[in-house]
Amino acid sequence: MGALATVVDLILNSLVLGGVFLIVAIGLNIIYGLNRVMNLAHGSLYALGAYAGYTLVNLGGNFFLTLLFAPLVVGLVGLVIERVLISPMRARPMVYTLILTYGLMFVMDGCLKYFWGKETRFIAMPEFMTQTLSLGPVQYPVFRLVILLAIAAVMGGLMLMLGRTRMGVNMRAAADIPEMVSAVGVNLRMVQMGAFVLGCVLAGVAGALAGPLFTVYPVMGHGMLISSFVVVVIGGLGSLRGAIYAALLIGVVQTLAEFFITDLAMVLVYMMMALILVFKPRGLVGEGKFE
Amino acid sequence: MKKFLAIALALIFTGLTAGPLMAADPVKIGVLVPLSGIAAQGGVELRDGSIMAAEEKKTVLGRPIELVVEDTQLKPDVAVSKAEKLVFKDDVKALVGVFSSGVGLAIAKNIDKLGVPFLTTHVMTTEFYGMHPLVFRSGQLANDQTAIGNIRGIAETPDLKKRKYYVLVHDYAWGHDAGNRFVQLAKEKGIEVVNPQYDKAPLNTTDWATYISKIKASGADGVYIALITTVIPVFTKQAAEFGILKNCRIVSGAAPGVTELEAAGENGVGIFGASCYSWDLERTSPKAKEWNQRYYQRFKAVPSDAAAHAYVGTMNLLNGIDKAGSLEAKKIADGIRGQAFEGPYGKVLIAPKDNCARNDAVLTETLPAPPNPYGAKYYMKVLKVYKADELGPPQ
Repeated sequence: MGALATVVDLILNSLVLGGVFLIVAIGLNIIYGLNRVMNLAHGSLYALGAYAGYTLVNLGGNFFLTLLFAPLVVGLVGLVIERVLISPMRARPMVYTLILTYGLMFVMDGCLKYFWGKETRFIAMPEFMTQTLSLGPVQYPVFRLVILLAIAAVMGGLMLMLGRTRMGVNMRAAADIPEMVSAVGVNLRMVQMGAFVLGCVLAGVAGALAGPLFTVYPVMGHGMLISSFVVVVIGGLGSLRGAIYAALLIGVVQTLAEFFITDLAMVLVYMMMALILVFKPRGLVGEGKFE
Repeated sequence: MKKFLAIALALIFTGLTAGPLMAADPVKIGVLVPLSGIAAQGGVELRDGSIMAAEEKKTVLGRPIELVVEDTQLKPDVAVSKAEKLVFKDDVKALVGVFSSGVGLAIAKNIDKLGVPFLTTHVMTTEFYGMHPLVFRSGQLANDQTAIGNIRGIAETPDLKKRKYYVLVHDYAWGHDAGNRFVQLAKEKGIEVVNPQYDKAPLNTTDWATYISKIKASGADGVYIALITTVIPVFTKQAAEFGILKNCRIVSGAAPGVTELEAAGENGVGIFGASCYSWDLERTSPKAKEWNQRYYQRFKAVPSDAAAHAYVGTMNLLNGIDKAGSLEAKKIADGIRGQAFEGPYGKVLIAPKDNCARNDAVLTETLPAPPNPYGAKYYMKVLKVYKADELGPPQ
């Protein structure tokens, strides 16, 4: 394989990896931005999305339906979590929900093991997605290209929703000045609930996309949660624009480091996070919010 | 007189009641296996192999056998605390099992504190040779033995010998050991390795895309992998998606287990590697066939190499205890040393020189399975059997 093919390969790998991080991290950011909840169960919700996809395909369902079914399932679970656990805690300091979601992560992991077992599961893909596609000098897996398209579609839809719909405008306003939103008669509780469910839906989308890519197992969300937190910290807590830049940056740095200096790949990623925390605590674009 | 009678009656009563109870007290053996995490399936097979051995052996020193199973979670620190619990709380007289060299080494390094014999059935690192008088290996081939089998197999197969190999291992003790051995032996045999410093992937790697890009960029048409076997289907699936399996052959430092073969499906076909055991041995060995059938009847699962390793290892341990005639740690260790068990893959001898097993091994290739009573769709076809003294090390 020539140098150009390797470069194209690495760019696409970076985009796929960064894209999955992005969807999870954006979900975390939306939840934090409007609810001031650092959702440590987000990785488990991502895993639930992957299991929902696995179950649907296993029952003979269409693979593409999983991209609707998994977010729906995770969104409904998110709604229950918000109503039963998060909402009553909203008036309390953030540390309460931090501990609560930390415990919830283990409860969810236990449930995943109970219902689906501890074994690694594989999601069967349609035949055409197991092939490669010729992109100039490089042969690239069709499924990874489908993931890239899906991520672009999800991000496009999200931007439209946040920019063009009343709910989206309310969410952005509530993230900046929640009191003002309440003052103009918007039901802030409803907006916060919507944001929590939307964050969970995004975790479900990411799980449905990543399940066939990385395989499905109960604690698959733990590593993803950590990577997404790195994205959130580098991008700035609660900053959507920052998350996009950070996810792309992490995708590129991790992929290139794995290629050139494998042993130090993750060291570089975490070192970058530490430097951002010290020198740019509000993230890459300076939009981060802190309690 | 009354006092004498009371003591006599008490003694008689104790003899009548407590005596039989004491005789029936089980000998407890601790079984340390991963039952959660990426190696959970392998852990289940190891556990089942030990259960089968204990059920067939029935008693040691005339007492029933009780296996106390603990989940190591494939984490060295967890495994050590579970071993302490087994020894100090449950009063087990020996430890058996363990998946992963990292976990095995952690327990072995604490053996003085634990004070009971530890016999691993699935740890491949060469550090176990002569490591400690209470530490044994019986079951899986060690890295040096596997590497010799693999390199000989490559050297004797024209299609494999002409290939250039990319070496990719998991970043922990076993992976490093396997990588070093392969690179060194390949050099000696004139087999080309394109990355002699070999790649070390973190254990939590789920996306192999970058490693696959490196393989493609290196121009290799052979890949030597030393990955925890449960990851093999994930790696082969992604390798197939990138299209590299069309031209590349995979040689594996550890043979994929039966569940992994099924999970890998068509993507696993063609994986080449040395191992102690494959159920295909039943084509030539009545003993293997008989064992396969017993295993299948008991567990309704495809007879696996991990289960066979654990079965043989546990038998060697239990026979060693019988030979020792005692439950004292040092005496059990003396009993295990030099112990040999004739099992599903022939005689497995614990060499007195270094406490590690010597046994024959098979060279295999993964292929779609012929009709079989176990319901397996894929299997490791036995291409060749190597004698124990061909694989070394010398006793």
